[in-house]
Amino acid sequence: MKTIFSLSAFVLVAPLTAFADSPQIVGDAPAAPIEASAPVEAAPVKFVISADAIYTAAGEMIEGGTVVISGTTIAAVTPGGESGEVGLHVAAITPGFVELSPRINLADYSVEESGEIMPTMRATSSMDLYDKRWERLLNSGTTTVLISPTAEDVVGGLTSVLKTGGDPTVEARVVLADATLAGSFGSHASRGNHAVFGRPTDHFSRRPTTRMGTEWSQRKAFYDTLAAIGNVDRQFAGWDIMESVLNGERPYIVQASATQDIRTAIYLKEEFGIPNMVVDAAAEAWREPGLLVRSGMAVILPPFDAQGRTAIDNGFLAWNSAKLLDDLEVPFALSSHGSASLNGRLSMQAGYAIRGGLSFEDALAAVTITPARLAGVDSRVGSIEVGKDADLVLWSGEPFAATSRIVGVVLNGELVTK
Amino acid sequence: MKFLPNRTHATTLLPARTMTLLRNWTLVPGAIAASVLFGNLPSASAAVGDSIVIEAGRIITQAGEDIVDGVIVITDGRITAIGAAADVEKPWDAPVMGGPEFTVFPGFIEAHTNNGMDRPNENLDVTPFLNVRDSIDPVNFFFEDCKRWGITTLNVQQGNNTVVAGNGRVVKPVGVTVEEMTIRPDFGFKISISPKSGKSRATQRQTLNRAFGDLRSDLESQVESAKLDEELAAREALGQGREREAEEGEGRAMTGSGWKVEGLERIKRSEIDEKVLPLLEMVEGRHRTFLYCGAPMDVQTAIDFATENGLLAKATLVLDASCWKAADAIKASGLSVVLDSNMVHIEVDPITEEETETFVPSVFAEKGIPFALSSANSSTNSLWFQAALCVGYGMERTEALAAVTTAPANILGLGDTVGSLEVGKAGNLLLLSGDPLDMTSWVEFTIIDGVKIYDRSKDVRNRHLLYGVEPRGTLAIESTASETPSKIEVDGEVTEEAKGEPVEEVAEEPIEEVVEETTKKD
Repeated sequence: MKTIFSLSAFVLVAPLTAFADSPQIVGDAPAAPIEASAPVEAAPVKFVISADAIYTAAGEMIEGGTVVISGTTIAAVTPGGESGEVGLHVAAITPGFVELSPRINLADYSVEESGEIMPTMRATSSMDLYDKRWERLLNSGTTTVLISPTAEDVVGGLTSVLKTGGDPTVEARVVLADATLAGSFGSHASRGNHAVFGRPTDHFSRRPTTRMGTEWSQRKAFYDTLAAIGNVDRQFAGWDIMESVLNGERPYIVQASATQDIRTAIYLKEEFGIPNMVVDAAAEAWREPGLLVRSGMAVILPPFDAQGRTAIDNGFLAWNSAKLLDDLEVPFALSSHGSASLNGRLSMQAGYAIRGGLSFEDALAAVTITPARLAGVDSRVGSIEVGKDADLVLWSGEPFAATSRIVGVVLNGELVTK
Repeated sequence: MKFLPNRTHATTLLPARTMTLLRNWTLVPGAIAASVLFGNLPSASAAVGDSIVIEAGRIITQAGEDIVDGVIVITDGRITAIGAAADVEKPWDAPVMGGPEFTVFPGFIEAHTNNGMDRPNENLDVTPFLNVRDSIDPVNFFFEDCKRWGITTLNVQQGNNTVVAGNGRVVKPVGVTVEEMTIRPDFGFKISISPKSGKSRATQRQTLNRAFGDLRSDLESQVESAKLDEELAAREALGQGREREAEEGEGRAMTGSGWKVEGLERIKRSEIDEKVLPLLEMVEGRHRTFLYCGAPMDVQTAIDFATENGLLAKATLVLDASCWKAADAIKASGLSVVLDSNMVHIEVDPITEEETETFVPSVFAEKGIPFALSSANSSTNSLWFQAALCVGYGMERTEALAAVTTAPANILGLGDTVGSLEVGKAGNLLLLSGDPLDMTSWVEFTIIDGVKIYDRSKDVRNRHLLYGVEPRGTLAIESTASETPSKIEVDGEVTEEAKGEPVEEVAEEPIEEVVEETTKKD
């Protein structure tokens, strides 16, 4: 393996093993590697929770069952109780929720302003793990989140999947480093840029200044990537990350809210044959059912609103959007955009989706196993199955009902109660 | 009664309405009956002798046990019979609504809102001479939303960013004029104990004290000068050798539980500046007041202020979420409260940054303080949701439901008229598709004074929100969510499901006919 920078070699150790075959890394490489720290080897503590109903998100609901936790993982899920061993009894258990659009780092406004195509940037580099919002999200039932760079750049950079609790280090919390690549359509990427004419020229005198420019930049980035494959002279920083998107090794999650932006994203997917692509904040996905099915695009819906309008590009989100996507068999996840409030939290989004016509099971999947699959972490989280992480939400009643409350959250086998 | 001439004008033009008003006379407590006479114009469609029969699989009366397979008869806007289907005699010629699939619930009551006005606050500090009547916009989208979410009675008060605000009004969300909407005109005043923007707490309190203090000293000096005038007149009469004619019955002694100006009977009420006259009426205990407290520290100030100025008997506290901390003081004062729509108070420790969450309504429920919930959240915008969250946090279901029906009715002094379904009360009710606290329930029909004022099957905006159909109805608007996607093309080919009925045919079907099919009309 030929490398130019020693740092690059270091980078390739664990998280990017998928690219061990890549011939070369050129330009600025990602910063320090993220590697999950090895679980502490101690005698696993056994912890048993029984419930009137266990919704596993992996098959039928178990009526009157127990979840046995050993250490940080689920050791057994059984119908009937293990009398004597039960540490806790609740009305219902669901898996911990997986949030693909938490936007928890957005308030820090860590936008890379030096360029628009920044595949080597990492969202995890700008995170404040002491931020109170992590704890709030955890208490609201969200145990796993996908952290993305902002949508202010055309290609924002690498995302990572993290747990919302645990030791406040990226190493302790990471589930999957560099999980997906983040991109942007719509108005956000061109925001702040301007044409060179009539103004003092600065680094914002650049493309894109319009939606068209954003699309142009997206396509140019992928054409540059195609040119870079097998041609050292054409390689640029992060071309191999772009390549991993082209060959489907890494999902490409793009923000596209308005109908025209969703269409543009779909056309990009089809033009370059990007196998694994997701539109985030896709409020108006309901307007393009045919294209969604044709292209095999997956969808992350933004939070529901009483007036139907969403914050990004004023997209209109119909209340039955989740039901519609489910009927079309378009894979979709719900999101709260990081709200932990009683009416905005992810569990309530599932409730609103049910109000819009979605079945309970499908709503459960849309906040657990489907987002886990979309982020490529379904082997560890997203359902209650033996061997998976013991991330559970404990309920006072029927999950997602407005009259039910989350009475506890289990993260990595540890009970968090607020 | 500044707007009396206008109202008199309106009533003389509409004698039929006046008759309806006179019939309702006996239902209204005496003290405010006069103002109701001129303000409460029931909606035009409640014609004389009109009856309507509502059938439901379940009636939640909020006044005792639920009724299974019940019937409600509403005549002239009032409930005349309610009970199990077997026990209630239905007028043979009355139209029947509802059916076994419906749950009937009293209309929700919003105890305090700043919505529905063109702007909720004045720039001036002390404005008791203003009236929200001039600010309420009957076609404001908020009132449409109220119908949609089943809020049938609202107390519209000026915003909290004030010192002493103008006169409020209790309305129903139906009617094209403010008079038509009005249930109680000239109802209540907002007084803010918390500083309005740009003020400190000290200046807020000073402005507040000055408003009432100036009133007191002005009245006192008016009484003094009246005394001097009288003495002068008496001396003049003595000098001229005639008996002075005593002036009789012109003024009225001051009443109320607060401070009093002795000898106020010497002053005609019409001689008192009308800009401050409402303040005097407040001190005399003739108006309800809504005292806004933006922080726990304001609560005791509010109670003291209300006690000093005689407001206590008719005061209600409008509280920020943080004010649960002053619950003991509120309990001791005996005041009722309207809670903020944000029901979770998060307190951050200034040193450790540790967060402590308090579910506010539970605190008031545990202490036995009468409380009403407020709607206003971005996702559901309704009171059912607030009550449901209370149940989730362990409150008794009956208490949570009371906090959006009977409790606000009592706070507004309308406990005899609205808030529960009983004979003699207003025919304000909702036909729901399920339990009021269930996430999948919808308000199918809203009935106010026995008149259907909302029908979800005809609610184009609701359909647009739910199905994403354009308001003009270019898609199959009657279809359920599961039917909608079947009419699409995938990759240029019509899918299996879509081979049935073409979209156009459905689109051409008039909305009215669709509605008739889904509404029971026998």
